[in-house]
Amino acid sequence: MATDFWTSTHYKQLLDQEEVDVVHNLDKERGITLEDFKLIKLHMTNYIARLAQNVKVRQRVVATAVTYMRRAYTRRSMTEYDPRLVAPTCLYLASKAEESTVQARLLVFYIKKLHSDDKYRYEIKDILEMEMKLLEALNYYLVVFHPYRALSQLLQDAGMGDATQMTWGLINDSYKTDLILMYPPHTIALACIYVASMLKDKDNTAWFEQLRVDMNMVEKVATEILDFYDNHKTITDEKVNAAMQKLSTRT
Amino acid sequence: MSNRSGSNRPEWLQQYDLIGKIGEGTYGLVFLAKIKSNRSKSIAIKKFKQSKDGDGVSPTAIREIMLLREISHENVVKLVNVHINHIDMSLYLAFDYAEHDLYEIIRHHRDKVNQAINQYTVKSILWQLLNGLNYLHSNWIMHRDLKPSNILVMGDGEEQGVVKIADFGLARIYQAPLKPLSDNGVVVTIWYRAPELLLGAKHYTSAVDMWAVGCIFAELLTLKPLFQGQEVKATPNPFQLDQLDKIFKVLGHPTVDKWPTLAHLPHWQSDQQHIQGHKYDSPGLYSVVHLPPKNSAYDLLSKMLEYDPRKRLTAAQALDHEYFRMEPLPGRNALVPPQPGEKIVNYPTRPVDTNTDFEGTTSLQPAQQQASGNQMSGGMAGAHIMGTRNVPRPVHMVGGMQRMQQQQNMAAYNLASQAAAGMSGGAAMNPGNIPMQRGVAAQPHQQQQQQQQQLRRKDGMGMPGYPQQKSRRF
Repeated sequence: MATDFWTSTHYKQLLDQEEVDVVHNLDKERGITLEDFKLIKLHMTNYIARLAQNVKVRQRVVATAVTYMRRAYTRRSMTEYDPRLVAPTCLYLASKAEESTVQARLLVFYIKKLHSDDKYRYEIKDILEMEMKLLEALNYYLVVFHPYRALSQLLQDAGMGDATQMTWGLINDSYKTDLILMYPPHTIALACIYVASMLKDKDNTAWFEQLRVDMNMVEKVATEILDFYDNHKTITDEKVNAAMQKLSTRT
Repeated sequence: MSNRSGSNRPEWLQQYDLIGKIGEGTYGLVFLAKIKSNRSKSIAIKKFKQSKDGDGVSPTAIREIMLLREISHENVVKLVNVHINHIDMSLYLAFDYAEHDLYEIIRHHRDKVNQAINQYTVKSILWQLLNGLNYLHSNWIMHRDLKPSNILVMGDGEEQGVVKIADFGLARIYQAPLKPLSDNGVVVTIWYRAPELLLGAKHYTSAVDMWAVGCIFAELLTLKPLFQGQEVKATPNPFQLDQLDKIFKVLGHPTVDKWPTLAHLPHWQSDQQHIQGHKYDSPGLYSVVHLPPKNSAYDLLSKMLEYDPRKRLTAAQALDHEYFRMEPLPGRNALVPPQPGEKIVNYPTRPVDTNTDFEGTTSLQPAQQQASGNQMSGGMAGAHIMGTRNVPRPVHMVGGMQRMQQQQNMAAYNLASQAAAGMSGGAAMNPGNIPMQRGVAAQPHQQQQQQQQQLRRKDGMGMPGYPQQKSRRF
């Protein structure tokens, strides 16, 4: 939102894949592998999205919340920062940052509704405490730019107005990966348009060429998105549960 | 400090020497502190209380932090640090300290030295204010609460006389808002509130800030608020007829001819009897500000006070105005004119209540006393004002209410209205109003009247830097 992306803290904080794919030592000790790490973040992305549906906030709030969650785990361990608390707290903080504040008690209500499991049970007090820890973990950088912003204009320009829904869905799914931590949002938007063009069998080569963007990067991101979909088929509840089992149980 | 008085003090606190409290507001306190490792550096620390409604960090604080972390400009206050005390769940924003602000500077000229602010200072302050605002606007940030107490001026030191826009508790990013901005409640202190807001505009632009700058410009020239309406207190967002009346009396009646979208504004449509029915004649801004109509200052002022927000001058256009190309040229140190022989006005320093600690409780601590003594030699307070802080001024805190010094004859100024504007809405509304206490004990009857008000806010937020080029890379 605020300011220009190229001068933003979002841009300055973009990370490389190697920096994102670091399992914290405390988590390693619990047997959490890089694959587990990614699965848990994916699972929490879905959890945030489901909570958001219930408390009725817009996609941008979800996207910001997921970004906060993923950023937090580049700096903090899941052992010390339980994802089952961090996820709703990210949504809580994002709702404030995006000007559509959700009350903590409403979140707690839906947490209980969605999960009877004790491990998910957190109270208002826990969320408020975690909010402050999260602010610290994020180093107080709260502005996030998203690929949605330029989307409709780009699609229009590419003559792909009919692919809006598909591309929007692709962008939503991109948050199930760490792409938002690594690439400028417009690159992700273009990669999603690229994938949509492929799926729709539309040749947009000329359009992409006249954009004067780094096509290698766009194609790289597009490949990651396609890889995600391939890989996603192999994800089972068992795998997710096994990864979640490795998380600490609360004292 | 951590083991003193038995409280659980966070470690970060040890880097500061607390001098005392310099302000207090509805949801926080402001303290003056020095950095232990660099005692010439003064810091204003704004403490946000945990909100009472059990909803964590106030959205105002979140907004302020998120904006201030992104922006950086010489004419915007600099946020130097954010701290958290997990034990009492309080949040602290540390800003570069600015000794003065336009509210106090204007008041000093009006009530103490009885003399207009010199032209160089007025022009330099205005230019820097516009420069900071142009930066904010080009980054899609509206301030929405500009008023003299939010415009800080640096005291002695390397940045002496540099203007800093402060208090971003109401500021908004205006790209793709999730909700209409008006849902966030009333904004902008009533005296500086733009006519489109007073008439109930749902969507408004950065032009609201330019209206406020126009009002502040006039106030710098005349030492009196330009449009001093009586605020109607009601929630939410009551119609402020008196404020419009004050504006129309000076600027004349707005017309659909000159301001085509006027016809669509809710209060213009609904309150025909009062606004449309009343006839205002003799528009005479120049007589109010005592400037000849051909004067360049007058020309600039009148273009900032243009009714139609779409025709109102932008900050960038204002910076280009011939007023700034004429002698005296604006300078970086607004307080000290470059021409030798010009009289330099020594403004008073902020009063500090040295009896209040970070918890807001009154407990005199030896370390703090020492600190307040040391500050004399700290170099921040300039030589010419050293005497004024020698002894902490007696600031009587009554029941935790802040009070400010007020001149008897100033009772009409700064009524609660000034502070309360913008507070009537929902959670998002609480502006960063942190009243600063000013001065010595007020008269008892004034105290009551003024308890709620905020005269002062000090804050800081900040950023170094310059308006960046907007390089859209594709």
